Amino acid sequence: MMPRTLALLLALCLPSMAGVLPAPKPKPAIAGNLSILRVNSTSQAYDFFRPWTKKPPATRRGLGTLIEGGRILVTAELVANHTFIELEKAATAEKSSAEVEQVDYECNLAILKPVDPAFLDGMQPMPFDTGVRVGDRATVLQLEPNGEIAQTLGTVTSISVGGYPLDNMGLLLFRLSAPMQQRDGSFTLPAVRDGKLLGLLMRYDARSQTADIISTPVIKHFLSEAAKPVYGGFARTGIAFSITRDPQLRRYIGLQEPGGVYVTEVMKNSPADKAGLKIKDVILSVDGRPIDQDGNYDDPEWGRILFSNLTNTVFHPGDTVTFRVFRDGNTLEIPVKLEARDRSKIVSESYLVDKAPRYVVLGGVIFMELSRPYLQEWGGDWLKDAPQRLVFLDAFQNELPEDRGKVVFISQILPTPDTLGYERYENLVVSKVNGKEIRSLNDVVEAAKTPVDGFQKIELEEDPGLIILDAAAIEANRDALTRKYALPALQRL
Amino acid sequence: MFRHLLVAVIATGLVQAAPVAKSLVRIETTSQEPDYKTPWSPGEVSGGVGAGFIISGNRIMTNAHVVSNARFLTVSKEGDPKPHPAKVVHIAHDCDLAILTVEEPGFFRGTTPLELGGIPAIESTVSVYGYPIGGSKLSVTQGIVSRIDFQPYSHSGMDSHLTIQIDAAINPGNSGGPVLQGGKVVGVAFQGYSGDVAQNVGYMIPTPVIKRFLKDIEDGHYDRYVDLGLSYKDLFNPAARHALGLTDDDSGVLVGSVYGGGSSEGIVKPGDVLLAIDGLPIASDATIPMDNDSVPLAEVVERKFKGDTVTLDILRDRKPMQLKIPLNGPWPFTLHSNAYDEDPRFVVFGGLVFQPVDQNWMTALQPEDLRLRYTFDFYIEDKLYKERPEIVALSGILADPVNAYASDFRNGILDEINGRKILRLSDAAEEFAKPADYYVIKMAGIGRPIVLERKAVEQARQRILSRYGVIREQNL
Repeated sequence: MMPRTLALLLALCLPSMAGVLPAPKPKPAIAGNLSILRVNSTSQAYDFFRPWTKKPPATRRGLGTLIEGGRILVTAELVANHTFIELEKAATAEKSSAEVEQVDYECNLAILKPVDPAFLDGMQPMPFDTGVRVGDRATVLQLEPNGEIAQTLGTVTSISVGGYPLDNMGLLLFRLSAPMQQRDGSFTLPAVRDGKLLGLLMRYDARSQTADIISTPVIKHFLSEAAKPVYGGFARTGIAFSITRDPQLRRYIGLQEPGGVYVTEVMKNSPADKAGLKIKDVILSVDGRPIDQDGNYDDPEWGRILFSNLTNTVFHPGDTVTFRVFRDGNTLEIPVKLEARDRSKIVSESYLVDKAPRYVVLGGVIFMELSRPYLQEWGGDWLKDAPQRLVFLDAFQNELPEDRGKVVFISQILPTPDTLGYERYENLVVSKVNGKEIRSLNDVVEAAKTPVDGFQKIELEEDPGLIILDAAAIEANRDALTRKYALPALQRL
Repeated sequence: MFRHLLVAVIATGLVQAAPVAKSLVRIETTSQEPDYKTPWSPGEVSGGVGAGFIISGNRIMTNAHVVSNARFLTVSKEGDPKPHPAKVVHIAHDCDLAILTVEEPGFFRGTTPLELGGIPAIESTVSVYGYPIGGSKLSVTQGIVSRIDFQPYSHSGMDSHLTIQIDAAINPGNSGGPVLQGGKVVGVAFQGYSGDVAQNVGYMIPTPVIKRFLKDIEDGHYDRYVDLGLSYKDLFNPAARHALGLTDDDSGVLVGSVYGGGSSEGIVKPGDVLLAIDGLPIASDATIPMDNDSVPLAEVVERKFKGDTVTLDILRDRKPMQLKIPLNGPWPFTLHSNAYDEDPRFVVFGGLVFQPVDQNWMTALQPEDLRLRYTFDFYIEDKLYKERPEIVALSGILADPVNAYASDFRNGILDEINGRKILRLSDAAEEFAKPADYYVIKMAGIGRPIVLERKAVEQARQRILSRYGVIREQNL
């Protein structure tokens, strides 16, 4: 799972530079120390290899920033799969437990609230910075063990759309060049300018000494969505595009205009698909703002920025944005109604945070639905090490037939007398059970209710093709199975 | 001096070796391995040493891997320092055997052809002859027969045949040498493990495989092994046995996949239960009784030839049936085998290098592209060869202004050129040879095409060829 990778990045990178540079001399009180809290988050992720169990708990520590409304802003990663969150005042070590009021893993932000609102008495919310430019100086705040604030001064080196940890999300990012030191509890750190919050540090690369900061526009978008009755999140148009710098390509498609990007992919059921955008279209402008050959528009505040910043951060889900496109020699105006991604149609989830993996055990046969977190259990090189058919199904899920549903597979078979001879089978994609098409785990449960001639017949998309179980025997041995393998339940849907 | 010493050794010590010395040859190979990254270049020249032995008909038997990609071969008889130029008559990469001959008159005079024996008993002693670690003098080691089983043959990487494991060390230079028992050849030493994997484990090719090779080439041509072209799994599970109509007699295996293009396509179906092959009952662990032993059922097909028929007794939907399967060639399964004695095929156009993807190419380029890896790995299992008789990849880009925006497409699979579906490399060559203002090259799964203007390609042509030393623009 991505959060873990990033946690490792911080944990592994920061120590490597400890002691390389002298700590910047702490300055006396800045506005920050009245707005900064320690946040200790105990988390426990599910074990996708044994979906009925959780992995050992782990504690992450970071800094939260108090903002208006008694809310504490942290990265979503800090509280991913949390079981317990604790706020701690820097100076007095006074503690209170907290709850997550809103979280969005795609923009990597979360709002926490103390269980006891009075805990925040005497603290001051931090206002947001505006008008930062490349070349400006900004400070990353850390806490010394004694509660003093440590400041690292850095320079904003770029403002651009960049990758956020999950689901290929590209949002506005500030990049800061700053020589930071390893300090305890650096999972989330505020970056400030003149006592105002510029953003939250979510990634630090010790080698290049660059910090990626979740930008103020993204935070403000998140907060305004959180204020709505229904959180709408960040919209996705559902297209992939390619630059049009190649003059041969421009001449071939007859593109006279100076800019434009070439649409290479339109995701099914996405806003772009519903609006009628097509592969080969050249997007010339969005919301009346011309798009250059690399896909940038001229933002009044940030300069040349990828146009997805318009559709995901400037505008909100529900807004309609007009795309001017070049298609077969004509120019068309296409209104696109923005929506956040419809996750109910996703074949293989790219992340599953705070959610227990679904599973069904039939006899000793464990059925699961394909998701990337399952594949990522194989470790950093999962693209090569995980079962290859599942990797490819995940990677090319957008090319599967629309009614394919979820990819149900047998992750493992627990050896029992009923599964004799099947012990070595694992990671096999299921096509049918008892003659019925399988498009979700619920289908498996339903189909298993009607055995054929007393047998549960599981058809597979690959070798060995067919697994047969004795329906009456596995029913009779249910208790023995749960007892022997200490299964808390035979299914979780 | 050398000869004198050798004779002395033979005369005084190795009584057994004396007759073998008249049958053994040392083979020196100069080979040239093509470089798939620069497919137009002739490749690096290297040398190697192996062993061989004389069999009937003035033939020399050795391993295919000793003489693969050979440009020049010499053989020296034991005790005769003169190297004699030799040539490959037959080579079987799928079972790692080859037949050489020496045209020089009189070469075989005074030599003794070795005879082939049978399968040696487990625990019986055998002697291995060869030139391990490159020495020029005969070396003999002894070992016992440890195991007789199917093993992968690493030369092709894809084939498994009957193999005999012995506990005598087999090292580079032993390859191709005879393994003798009672004066007869019981095997050809061919592979082993490096010391850090396993010790005292050497492998030899047993006589059933050798005899099959010799029979196959009787018509002057080697046809390769034939295969049923299906997968099957053991049938231990009692519920599965009852559901399929079997009793608890430990017989039968379940067919998982039937590969299109293989011998069984359209005859055997997934879900069939195989009960007997050529009348030999199949046990539930996929073995059959043969030669007083239990061997994998594939051994029946292993001993057959292209055009032969195999008879299967099966259960389909619980009903017994008998099927006759004519055995045909191994396409498309050879895609995953290491290939030898082949020049890489390619087309260069506008600095873009297109090559058909096969195991050699994959080994040389190690592409990480997921779509390419999927198409290669699942080519047979998912029947992808139906859509693509050849996988043609954009394997390299000779950087030039004409292809400045093509770098994102590297290792993509060529799908269309100017609207024509590309099924094989020659299709691409044909389309590129046609005059057109634009060459619109579409890669599988990528929405944007590569567009090359004819004028630009023509202007770049000589520049690219001379800059990158491309001596040939295509080899189809």
